Amino acid sequence: MAIHEKSLIRPEDIKSQENLVIDGIDVSGHWSTFISARNITDYNEKMQDEIAALPGGENIHRCWQCGSCTNACTVNALEPRFNPRYWIYLIRMGLESELLRDKDIIWQCVSCNKCTNICPRDVVPEGIMKATAKWLELKGHTEVNPSTHFDEAFMEQISATGRIEEGKTMRMLFKRTGRSLFQDWLIEMVKRIAVKMPMHYVFGMGIEQIIPPRVSGWRKQLGPALDEYVHESEKKQRQALGLDQLISMAQAEVRPAHHKAAE
Amino acid sequence: MTKPILIVGGGPAGLSAAHMLAQLGQKTVLVEKLPHLGGAPIVSGYAKLVPSGEWAKDAIGGMIDRVEKNKLVDVRLNTTVKDFKGEPGKFVATLSDGKKVEAASAVLCTGFTHFDAINKPEWGFGTFPDVVTTAQVEQMISSGKGVRRPSDGNKPQRVAILLCVGSRDRQIGREWCSKICCSVSANLAMEIREELPDCHVYIYYMDIRTFGLLETKYYWRSQEEFKVKYIKARIAEVTAQGDKLLVKGEDTLVKRPITIPFDMVVQAIGMDPNVDNMLLSAVFDVKLEPHGYIGKANSYGTQGATSRPGVFVAGSATGPETIDDSIAQANAAALAAYTAAQGVTLKAAE
Repeated sequence: MAIHEKSLIRPEDIKSQENLVIDGIDVSGHWSTFISARNITDYNEKMQDEIAALPGGENIHRCWQCGSCTNACTVNALEPRFNPRYWIYLIRMGLESELLRDKDIIWQCVSCNKCTNICPRDVVPEGIMKATAKWLELKGHTEVNPSTHFDEAFMEQISATGRIEEGKTMRMLFKRTGRSLFQDWLIEMVKRIAVKMPMHYVFGMGIEQIIPPRVSGWRKQLGPALDEYVHESEKKQRQALGLDQLISMAQAEVRPAHHKAAE
Repeated sequence: MTKPILIVGGGPAGLSAAHMLAQLGQKTVLVEKLPHLGGAPIVSGYAKLVPSGEWAKDAIGGMIDRVEKNKLVDVRLNTTVKDFKGEPGKFVATLSDGKKVEAASAVLCTGFTHFDAINKPEWGFGTFPDVVTTAQVEQMISSGKGVRRPSDGNKPQRVAILLCVGSRDRQIGREWCSKICCSVSANLAMEIREELPDCHVYIYYMDIRTFGLLETKYYWRSQEEFKVKYIKARIAEVTAQGDKLLVKGEDTLVKRPITIPFDMVVQAIGMDPNVDNMLLSAVFDVKLEPHGYIGKANSYGTQGATSRPGVFVAGSATGPETIDDSIAQANAAALAAYTAAQGVTLKAAE
């Protein structure tokens, strides 16, 4: 029998055998169609704690699923699959496989923070979107996204000099994300700026390309202190996500092979 | 001096009514069918009460004490009322021991009966030893033994609390919300998390009704401080696999069926009308309301009036009620019974 509301079933859950004969009866094609069960059989209790360990995810356990965040969401209006309420629930209950289905949409949060402003329980859904995107990256489910590349380029400069030079940040971002600097829109923008910009500005920008701006004495005290804080925070996050364990496990598996080769 | 006022039932409502009347210098006869006073919180061995957080045996114990020591209260234990004749100011009650008591008026504080979870066989109570009721968990805590699986005495790693067992269920003729089970369950969930920090507690609900100020102390606090998880699902059935209980239902928020193993399932049992209500209705000639509780007139004229003049009602005899509200109602009904005993009829302002 044909399945009527096929649109309600995920395509991968509909199974049918192209060639199948049971007890001498040919049930090939749609005659052998069945729908596989999508039963939840366990909760991954670590997941909520892992997200809560990342910046922005701290208040996830407060959510009571009212849906205000999704209703207020700028992205949801354009992309109905972008549903913070739903993802928060999946994380809280530890339905990991379900969350991974949407891994390529979650990072699209534009941080307008309408959800944060409307949330009756101060869950800070925007922070959770950030934490979740970070979690997906750290766990290797998604590639490093452009926003993270930007953050890294930004932080690298701050760490080195205590200041940023926008031109350099831009160049670093384009390099890291594998894009050419010679974008039509960028060339056009530079051209128009060049026409209107006073000469001493252009001169100043040129100097900064050669001698980057820096805070005096930055690397003596503040720079290293910031580095240490960032390093500690990242270490805590890796621990919370069990990443160091994974790495040491992987190394433990590799080592005996090396020993064998040496023997 | 008028005749004494009859109080039926020695739970929180009955104890407060007796105390209030004694303070007014009014004699009372307090009839209790069990061998001790205290009502459900004592008889069922409740642990910490909602919302005070005080141990039941301390809080209700104090109420028992002051009534037992008061000479104006004539306590009759192991006694029921067999017959109640007469009219306001001159009632005669015949007790189960054959003694007759004259009374000017009466206050029924006959309470409720816990829902018997065996009437929902699909949830496994009575079939699997590790399916228990909220009352049993209260006893585990109040006895000091802690929350353990009845089958092997082990600490549970995962506990599911099912709400609305015997409430809001037309299948078993119980349409009412029992009012306090949400708060009590959240309270127990926090108690479990406090005693067993490694134990995960899940609450399966249809709606959460931690009404009024209980919202902060129970619903919010259980989530925010104790990380209790709430899942919107009405469980279809509880079965067993090895020494685990399998809880089946639908997680409605993700539109997916669930089959989750648990070490222990706790059923938040509701408040039924007192099993003796048909009998009480006949003896006192008071009408029951459609759910089977004792019918109460509206509160605009007088407090706790029943269909029979001179007979008043208070507490969970009138429907699911909190201890605090039962006490307030009993005090109000006691005043109404007192004025009726004085021959005063309250009339609306003319």
